Amino acid sequence: MSVGMVILAGGVGKRMHQKTPKQFLLLGGKPIIIHVLENIEKVDEIEKVVICSPKEHIEQMKQLIFNHNIQKNIICVEGGKTRQESTYIGVKNLKGCDSIIVHEAVRPFVSDKEFKSMINSKEENAIYGIDIPFTVLEGSEYIEKNLERNKLINVQLPQKFNGEKLLLAHEKADKEGKHFTEDASLFYHYYPDDKIKIMEGSLYNIKITTPVDLISCEQIYKEYIVGRK
Amino acid sequence: MKTLIITGASQGIGRATAVEMSNREDIGNIALVARNEKNLEETKALMNPKCNVMVVPHDMTDLEGIEKIVDKIYKEFKSIDLLINGAGFVNPTALLDTTIENFTQTFTVNTVSMLVMIKACVRYMKGKDAKILNIASTAGSTSRPGWVAYASAKAGVISLSKTLADELRDYKIKVYCISPGRCATELRRILAPEEDPTTIMQPEDVAKIISNLLEEEENCLDGQDIIVRQK
Ligand SMILES: NC(=O)c1ccc[n+]([C@@H]2O[C@H](COP(=O)([O-])OP(=O)(O)OC[C@H]3O[C@@H](n4cnc5c(N)ncnc54)[C@H](OP(=O)(O)O)[C@@H]3O)[C@@H](O)[C@H]2O)c1
Repeated sequence: MSVGMVILAGGVGKRMHQKTPKQFLLLGGKPIIIHVLENIEKVDEIEKVVICSPKEHIEQMKQLIFNHNIQKNIICVEGGKTRQESTYIGVKNLKGCDSIIVHEAVRPFVSDKEFKSMINSKEENAIYGIDIPFTVLEGSEYIEKNLERNKLINVQLPQKFNGEKLLLAHEKADKEGKHFTEDASLFYHYYPDDKIKIMEGSLYNIKITTPVDLISCEQIYKEYIVGRK
Repeated sequence: MKTLIITGASQGIGRATAVEMSNREDIGNIALVARNEKNLEETKALMNPKCNVMVVPHDMTDLEGIEKIVDKIYKEFKSIDLLINGAGFVNPTALLDTTIENFTQTFTVNTVSMLVMIKACVRYMKGKDAKILNIASTAGSTSRPGWVAYASAKAGVISLSKTLADELRDYKIKVYCISPGRCATELRRILAPEEDPTTIMQPEDVAKIISNLLEEEENCLDGQDIIVRQK
């Protein structure tokens, strides 16, 4: 079975109040994207990686891959205007792969073991998710509805899908102009009868979005990650 | 079998270390780096013949060339497991007598070339339980009037070693830093021409400490400035 991977590296870093895009910020002394790639490098099952990045950062990305001597079949392509568009471009570049893993460049702490257990699980489609430890309510200005948190999950990445079906789902969404925030929702919309397994994610699988995330990730890296791979 | 690179291997502490390390069971390949080829060959002749020895004449101020020699060594031996950075240079002068050339030469040989060397080797060392040992000096942490370039360059070595010990921990690369005190070598003769070299620490003493630090067994001594001094 051939496995391909899309890495979304589309961020231009507005929310971090920084000029440097998040994926290039240093965490424990090395760029966040390199943490991701060094973990992926150890996953032999992944045959090809497509990094979707804004055009102006492609060269920098290639340079980092060279500098850090990352040994993997990686191509860097220009992403789209939205996250969904970027994933679609990535998936198109993996045409023919039986299985496609979607991940993002700003989740540095997904270990090689976690990638492997997702790839090697017998489930065709799977995501990592964790319970929601706090109360969630629906509403914008006023509370409109109670939600049962034990029926909800916090969706993480990576996610795994049947390659052919993921491509078809994206084609349809593109034609119909439908927008989804991530791929499990998109896939489920077009293939409601195909099971998507929720695998138990980890609390460390933080998506670095705000400056506070980076501060906590530095601490997590020092205390829990470094030297334990 | 492990591969070791030693810079500054043509004499003094580097030579003694090459000889000491060549007796180790776990080391099969040793690359000797310095400018003086004849002296490097002499070092080779003193080493245990069980080791494959590669003589690599190189001037460490040729920073561009460092990556090339590392690639050459890797190609020959197929791994780089241990790196000992021993190349050192000193030309003591009072601040007002010193020149930009002296500053530049001192920093380039002692500090900058070390960083470039480490960078080139780490590309091959990642995830391989490798070890790096940098030779700083007690001059790097105490005041030495008249040696300002050397002392501050060695302070740089201590600092870069501490930082890289943390930065490279994730790659399972250990970074050690030793700071010898007075040791009977050419470099010491430049600093203290009147001193009787038989009364101070010998290069072989430092070589033994280096070999102990680079043992396979965990020693919790990485990332700190280890003073090696005869009391
Ligand atoms: N002896 C002491 O008291 C003492 C105390 C503290 C620290 N240290 C440090 O210990 C290390 C070894 O020094 P040592 O005492 O053994 O002195 P040494 O006998 O003078 O050895 C210095 C070595 O550095 C090499 N070197 C100098 N300039 C170089 C260049 N441009 N390119 C390549 N190699 C170069 C020399 O080889 P070539 O001339 O053949 O190039 C030689 O092998 C040095 O880092 C020194 O600073 C020594």
